[in-house]
Amino acid sequence: MVESVALTRPEVLSPIGQAALRQLLLAWFDFERRLSRVPVIQRLERGTFGPADYQRLLLHLRQQVIEGSRWIARAASSFDRDHTDVRSAIIGHAHDEHRDYEVLERDYVAAGGDLVTLRAQPRNPGSEALHGYLMYRASEPNPVGLLGAMWIVEGLGEKMAKDWAERVERLIPVGRDGTQFLRYHASNDETHMNKLYALLDRLCTSEERADDIVRTAAVVGRLYALQLEEVDVE
Amino acid sequence: MTGAYITSTGSFLPGPPVGNDDVEQLLGLVGGRRSRLRSRIQKANGIKTRHYAIDRSHRTTHSNEQMAVLAAQACMAKSPLPLRSVGVLSCATTQGDLVIPGFGSMVQAGLGIPEVELHTAHGVCSSSVMAVRAAVNTLRVGDQSNALVVVSELSSRLFKNTRYEAAGGRDAVDFDAEFLRFMLSDGAGAWLLECEPRGRCLRVDWIRSYSHADSLRVCMSIGGPADPKETRSCQDYATYAEAEAAGALLIRQDVKLLDHVVKLGVDGALRLIDEGLLDMARLDRLLCHYSSHHFRSKIFDMLKMCGASVPAEKWFTNLYTKGNTGSASIMIMLDDFLAEGRAKVGDTLLCMVPESARFNVAYMHLTVVEA
Repeated sequence: MVESVALTRPEVLSPIGQAALRQLLLAWFDFERRLSRVPVIQRLERGTFGPADYQRLLLHLRQQVIEGSRWIARAASSFDRDHTDVRSAIIGHAHDEHRDYEVLERDYVAAGGDLVTLRAQPRNPGSEALHGYLMYRASEPNPVGLLGAMWIVEGLGEKMAKDWAERVERLIPVGRDGTQFLRYHASNDETHMNKLYALLDRLCTSEERADDIVRTAAVVGRLYALQLEEVDVE
Repeated sequence: MTGAYITSTGSFLPGPPVGNDDVEQLLGLVGGRRSRLRSRIQKANGIKTRHYAIDRSHRTTHSNEQMAVLAAQACMAKSPLPLRSVGVLSCATTQGDLVIPGFGSMVQAGLGIPEVELHTAHGVCSSSVMAVRAAVNTLRVGDQSNALVVVSELSSRLFKNTRYEAAGGRDAVDFDAEFLRFMLSDGAGAWLLECEPRGRCLRVDWIRSYSHADSLRVCMSIGGPADPKETRSCQDYATYAEAEAAGALLIRQDVKLLDHVVKLGVDGALRLIDEGLLDMARLDRLLCHYSSHHFRSKIFDMLKMCGASVPAEKWFTNLYTKGNTGSASIMIMLDDFLAEGRAKVGDTLLCMVPESARFNVAYMHLTVVEA
């Protein structure tokens, strides 16, 4: 039996890990610029975002938030016995987040939305594509590439908490009670980053794996942006 | 294709250094009241002294053109090349003394260089690199054998208390409008570039820049009114007086967007590493035009983790004593760095100019060589 050891942040990353992290940073910056071109985010950043925008944003995020914990849980189950440490880390992560959507629901109601409408909202085309892709990748054996997906999704969580929540509170009369979902992710940044570094060190052991991680980050970034573009499509 | 070498540098800073506590006395109290933000802004940018080309009675002691000329003369005085032999004059500034003609024409006239090939770059901080780029390209294609690059900045005229009072006084001056008042100051720098090395000089290895105006909104500007919902520019008002009253002639910085400058500066560096042009481990000095000291962010931890950070001892800056002179900063910084006399043959330097106005980040890689 392989002994399960907790993953810890390495002092230094291997050259392959470093190169992958550089590529991941570039993928993140590209994603952020992509977000700045999405209409609903442009309104948020330019200060023309209103209460209806906030409701629609939450309405369209909910499906992804519910599905989010599913792909993480499935990814955990797809890691074999040689990756039990990775599996533990990912299960912990899925457990932390699998009821986030309840926080989102409370925010939606606080923002004046109707719970029946929220629960009846289907996945938008971007959410369909994102969910489909993530579930497909998570079903593969040892889905190392999904580290790239976590990179984007975690990074976005932090951006929501630090940047979006404050803007929402400034622009519409919800107060902090109505931005708990956006705010939630700020609490333990450093722990998340250390976990990512640890996973990168553990999993990014070959050029192929590095390419897979970076490519997955790029795809997830594009699909996430598509999901947010769809907020304005209906 | 021939090369491009920086064979001489010079700079000019007007008047005596002005300490933090004297800045507001010189620029004037808006509405007769002290700024509540000054010390906070000065603490964040870390600048201790700077120079102004206006005096306490707000007379201009040196025009922008005069500063440019003095910096160019200081540069040429160190070179055996006679001024009249300069083939290309490539200039940049954010705002010339005159709106028309181009700044380069005024500098040429001030220097008295005959029949020169003229170039004026238009932009903000990174216009310096655009001016150097034009010079380097002209040498590389072999059309000219030397080029004088002159960059000068006189922003203090914008910061007189009377300008703010005309836009509504203290109550109309928000953080975004006041931020640059305690950040920017005046000065000029010049570099002589030649297609052959001369003595100990700097080879220009490459220049690259990445602009992100397509994805981010304006961060620093003059010309837009205070009301963000107003779409007119200062030129669309019936008179300049109306534009000024609407705050459309004030210089503003949208400080909420400043984080992007750091991110995009890193983004460009990572691209250059990826392309194989930049090797952080082999870099000897980093001359970075950064406008403020509030640089501490998680990105730097990530840079360390991905092997792309530059240790503190390799950074060179004169920000704290010479201030932030916008486009002229990098020109003056290199002059000060060379004056230290610590550059050794074979040393590699990265000059980095991240411009916040609408996010253009520019890089120049130089190597110290001996002819």
